[in-house]
Amino acid sequence: MSTPTIRKQKVKRTSVKTRLIIFGTLAALLLIGSIFSSHLTPYDPYLQDLSNAKAAPSMEHLLGTDRYGRDMLSRVIIGSRTSIYSTLLLVAIITAFGTAVGVICGWFGKWIDVILMRISDMFLAFPGLVFALAVAGVLGGGLQNAIIALAAISWPKYARIARSQTLAQKETVYLRAAKLSGSSTVKIIFKHILPNIIGPILVTSMLDIGTMMMELAGLSFLGLGAKPPTAEWGSMMSDTRSLITIVPWVTLAPGIAIFISVMIFNLLGDTIRDYADPKNREVRG
Amino acid sequence: MEKVLEVSNLTRVFKEKNKQDFTAVSHVDFCLYEGECLGIIGESGSGKSTTVNMITRLIEPTDGTIILEGEDITHKKGKQLRNIYKKMQMVFQSPVESFDPRRTLGDGIAESLKNNGYSKKEASKAVERVLEKCGLDGSFALKYPHEVSGGQCQRAAIARALAITPSLLICDEATSALDVTIQKEIIELLRSLRENHDRKLSILFICHDLALVQDFCDRVIVMHDGVIVEQGKPDEIIKNPQNDYTKRLIDSVL
Repeated sequence: MSTPTIRKQKVKRTSVKTRLIIFGTLAALLLIGSIFSSHLTPYDPYLQDLSNAKAAPSMEHLLGTDRYGRDMLSRVIIGSRTSIYSTLLLVAIITAFGTAVGVICGWFGKWIDVILMRISDMFLAFPGLVFALAVAGVLGGGLQNAIIALAAISWPKYARIARSQTLAQKETVYLRAAKLSGSSTVKIIFKHILPNIIGPILVTSMLDIGTMMMELAGLSFLGLGAKPPTAEWGSMMSDTRSLITIVPWVTLAPGIAIFISVMIFNLLGDTIRDYADPKNREVRG
Repeated sequence: MEKVLEVSNLTRVFKEKNKQDFTAVSHVDFCLYEGECLGIIGESGSGKSTTVNMITRLIEPTDGTIILEGEDITHKKGKQLRNIYKKMQMVFQSPVESFDPRRTLGDGIAESLKNNGYSKKEASKAVERVLEKCGLDGSFALKYPHEVSGGQCQRAAIARALAITPSLLICDEATSALDVTIQKEIIELLRSLRENHDRKLSILFICHDLALVQDFCDRVIVMHDGVIVEQGKPDEIIKNPQNDYTKRLIDSVL
């Protein structure tokens, strides 16, 4: 009789911690870069030089120039501030507000749940851009109002996730144990419910960063978001889309900038989810 | 002997739309004396768990009164309700699920202590002591529930229940999810804790294993369809059951 051989499964996987460090650093670099963006630009991003318009990428202008002769690299760098910060602000607002509403609905239930959920349904029923147009019509255009409009239609998603997660947590045995430990509702929500539901919410919000970046850009394109000449990646792409066949770099440069930042935030989101789950942390053994 | 727990006329009716009302527990009366171990047996759905969940106020009773150490706790709310958990604690059926997966066992055990004014330092010392009392090393305080075995986790759950030295310990099928040898260890642990507890410990022991109840409990209640059908000393009930249901229950085991 042959002895059974036990083959150890060898899966080479970068550990969660390493990934967290890598993507966390990249995201931090992106943020720090955008904070100091005004010091990093090689040229004045708003300086027009019509004699050098639509220049191809060269040693002088690494990403070429746009139709007014403005240095694209400088504009992409300075644009990171508007694009990244307004997106992060927007996502932070909808995550915090949606989660708060969802947890309240899930925990207290009854009429509070009915009222808040119907309100969120109302917001879900609005077509996003039409609502943004209406907000812009009432409050006027501008990045701030675009954020308000997008926040108003985006929070219900988070409320729904948080609510269903809270309802699931409410049924768990350890929550009953926490109640028996004499913990107050506030303590239970902050110490037990939030840490246990925040994983999927964080991942959703990280994945939403990309979408929101695009939506803000869309509103900017319609003249409801960032106003020209303010450099913002989305509006830079929309501005120059008619030139894409002639001078592709003016569209590609902000496009690639969006692509890279969206990628970084998506991967960071995934990693945070993995890290938040203690079963994936390598403490066993 | 002094009564620790007195339950009278306890009733729970579950109402659902478009469905007939379901009476899970109906007019249950019993009391538990100081230092006593009272077993409740019955098949699944007989209302044992609903009864204890009403006693711990995790489910609201439809009718009846619950008196814990001479204090009516049936309608306590908020802070007053949280205060009664100093006197009454519970061990659940599924040990691993009874701990928050994101917090260490030590956090779980210290929770009741911290809620009752212990500082971090005092609490962690008390956790270590109570863990040792329950046969676990102090280092278990730093482990997560998924890192320990079911038996170890149940010991930690008992440690959590006893951390604030309650006078009443409710074990809701505390041994049912464990295998036989571990079951025996847990019973031995409970037995030794009864003898060495800082206060006289009364135990309400929910179980569906007759042999275990006979071995461990001083008195036993048999529940069927939400009603108490028989009560008395375990040996007497097993030797000489009066009720038809009890007879069937005993026949099905022996």
